[in-house]
Amino acid sequence: MNPELSRRSVIKVGVAATAGLILGCRIRESVAATPPGAADPFAPNAWLRIAPSGEVTIVVAKPDIGTGVRTSLAMVVAEELGVAWESVKVEQAVADAKYGSMMVGGSGSVRGSWRPLREAGATARAMLLAAAAKRWGVEPGSCRTENGVVLNGAGSATFGELAIEAASMPVPTGVALKDPKDFTIVGKRLPRVDNHDVVTGKARYGMDVRIPGMLMAVVARPEAFGGGIASYDEAAARKVPGVREVLKVPSGIAVLADNTYAAMAGREALAVKQDPGPNAAIDSDSIFKQLGESFQPFGDAPEGKVVEAEYAVPYLAHAPMEPMNCTVHIADGKCVIYAPNQAPDAIQRSAAQRTGLDRSAVEVHTTLTGGGFGRRFQTDFVDEAVQIAMAAGKPVQVVWSRDDDMKHDFYRPASRNRLRAVLGSDGKPILWQHQFMQAQAGRGAPSWGREEIWYGIPTAQRMTGGARTPVPTGAWRSVSHSNTGFAIESFVDELAYAAGADPLEYRRSLITDARLMHTLDRVAKLADWKGPKPAKGKGRGVGCFIGYGSYYSMIVDVTHDPDLGIVVNHVYAVVDCGIAINPLGVEAQVFGGVNDGIATALKSAITIKGGAVEQSSYFDFEWLRMSEAPKFTIEVVESRESPGGMGEVSYPPSPAAVANAIFAATGHRLRTLPMNELPE
Amino acid sequence: MAQFTFTINGAKKTVDVPPDMPLLWILRDLVGLTGAKYGCGVGSCGACTVLLGDEAVKSCLISADEVEGKPITTIEGLSSDGSHPLQKAWVETDVPQCGYCQTGQIMAAAALLKAKPKPTDADVDEYLSTNICRCGTYPRIREAIRRAVAEEVEER
Repeated sequence: MNPELSRRSVIKVGVAATAGLILGCRIRESVAATPPGAADPFAPNAWLRIAPSGEVTIVVAKPDIGTGVRTSLAMVVAEELGVAWESVKVEQAVADAKYGSMMVGGSGSVRGSWRPLREAGATARAMLLAAAAKRWGVEPGSCRTENGVVLNGAGSATFGELAIEAASMPVPTGVALKDPKDFTIVGKRLPRVDNHDVVTGKARYGMDVRIPGMLMAVVARPEAFGGGIASYDEAAARKVPGVREVLKVPSGIAVLADNTYAAMAGREALAVKQDPGPNAAIDSDSIFKQLGESFQPFGDAPEGKVVEAEYAVPYLAHAPMEPMNCTVHIADGKCVIYAPNQAPDAIQRSAAQRTGLDRSAVEVHTTLTGGGFGRRFQTDFVDEAVQIAMAAGKPVQVVWSRDDDMKHDFYRPASRNRLRAVLGSDGKPILWQHQFMQAQAGRGAPSWGREEIWYGIPTAQRMTGGARTPVPTGAWRSVSHSNTGFAIESFVDELAYAAGADPLEYRRSLITDARLMHTLDRVAKLADWKGPKPAKGKGRGVGCFIGYGSYYSMIVDVTHDPDLGIVVNHVYAVVDCGIAINPLGVEAQVFGGVNDGIATALKSAITIKGGAVEQSSYFDFEWLRMSEAPKFTIEVVESRESPGGMGEVSYPPSPAAVANAIFAATGHRLRTLPMNELPE
Repeated sequence: MAQFTFTINGAKKTVDVPPDMPLLWILRDLVGLTGAKYGCGVGSCGACTVLLGDEAVKSCLISADEVEGKPITTIEGLSSDGSHPLQKAWVETDVPQCGYCQTGQIMAAAALLKAKPKPTDADVDEYLSTNICRCGTYPRIREAIRRAVAEEVEER
């Protein structure tokens, strides 16, 4: 993802008697190495530290929003370093330019870090070997490492014992990386490093940060996009026991109190009167109508069987379990921020700008993060907390209620997708046109381009356009693929039926990518696709996707239950993500993407009325619950290819696979999400 | 404001709060136990689940005056060292993704096992459907509960 990553070179940044070996990846040529002996034991730029005590600390720069990078990225370093996994301590990096991009998104954390982190580990290992060889007067090549110990016929020494000597060794370049067949940590099913803290309640999320003297704050915001607050009763809020401050801030009226409940009660007491502003007439219907008006005539088509269909998806909220929150303490020329986030570096830049402080005076601590899904790329929740802390002159934790979080998101854009294909005599498309109209501010004039598609359809074209609306939009798990995946995988299914073909075999006839083909063949086996036909009221649907460096196929089994409606019973999935660093984590991401896919296929939607979001909580914007969650059979393809991303690949085809299964079960082709009602 | 006394994880605790203050905020902001999480504040998500006696309750819905004199167990009281069979099973099964909802899930599962020491899959689905996991860890929650039950049986 980041071209700079490939240019990273590994340098020694310093050594201190107590610190032992500190290694880091240099991001820019201008970052100078700290001379040996002069370094702070906690010198930045470090991916790993080995203390003379033997303690191995691996620094993870990427926030872990639930994808498991605190485990998987540390595994990569530990693998090449040659230490026992159990001896590794993982440390979350404090934001610093030396880490390069700290942002997590685009399923890029593992892909972007794979090579530099391997090099960081391997370089450290080479220096430990060199130190041992020097000590013993032998060739480094005659030494090997095993679980944090350097071994040679002449003797053995632990990494801790060698740490100080290793730090004075020259930093090798172009170190050899392990052959994947020799991996002992990468590829293992390892439980996450934070599990113990999570299950004992010790894990610290953003909302668990406690700073002496801090006040809890909630903000009354305008409900409608572009709206305002017409009036509020400040005196009433101040009368609530525990309320300390009522402040007008750019985003609304902040109530600061001794505890969260008092702050919330204070906000109630404000009895805010909303000013709906200029967008009061905007609602979901008007937005979808606007999107429909963006469609263009398809133009001429070659001769053959014409298939046309239109698919629509709604706005979606991210609604992570931990609502937005941020803790800020500004004092003594420093701004200290604790935030569950997806972009520590962006937060640092933004806070520096807002406070007028130098970037180096803004300390951003990434806490454990109760879900992200793209929401926490945005810095709005941090910017607001910084403004409140500046106005209050005290440390504050700004807490968003669930309603705040639901109504002030950067939503997955709603879209309408119109597709047309012409089938040749062999049933394959000789024309494929897709008009993709998104409700997204800042869209340019619609224009035709190539459709990025995972099937060999050389004619595939997409027109991307849409309508400007005041509803803020942003990245949501798989971004535009979350829209187009539903349209494309539904439409391919329709073409299969139009061609009189089996939907899985039809896909096979269109696939030209060997890795995707393999996942589809495997999932067909796993689910026994060729086995007995499903009973009445049951159906199976297929979905495929290539993206983020990974290849994915799935089969979904549904039942049309007269009382319960559509029930997803079983999901079979096969993923080829190259080298699976931690198959447990890979499978977890499949659970996540597919369960999101089912929820958004059947239940979840954000709707707009009066220029504002109608939903406010998990009872009107629903995620899947235990009783609705399917059983899973997942296979992770063994591979020697570089790792692909896993955070998003399983989402795009999931809602379509459900729709395709519903069609197989009921004969109803549902083209609008959520599919919460079957036609009579 | 009024004084309320209850037992949290075996220890008596007195707080001076408004009678309608939800237990969740008493635990998190006054007692310093942050294991119970705020997810929705209206009983829709279960992230704040604790035990009142042997029963799972949503601590965002139960107020100070309703818990007066009663015993409360939070995740911190289930065991602080992670030795409870459910906590062990959760770690081994690698249930958590973001992890935010998991203390609530475990407390809901603890209440289930108190009521039904050998729950069926249908029991698990029913009891745990009060708790949302937005990361979709459900298959592993089911597996972890089965694992914890198996371990309990083995130990007897």
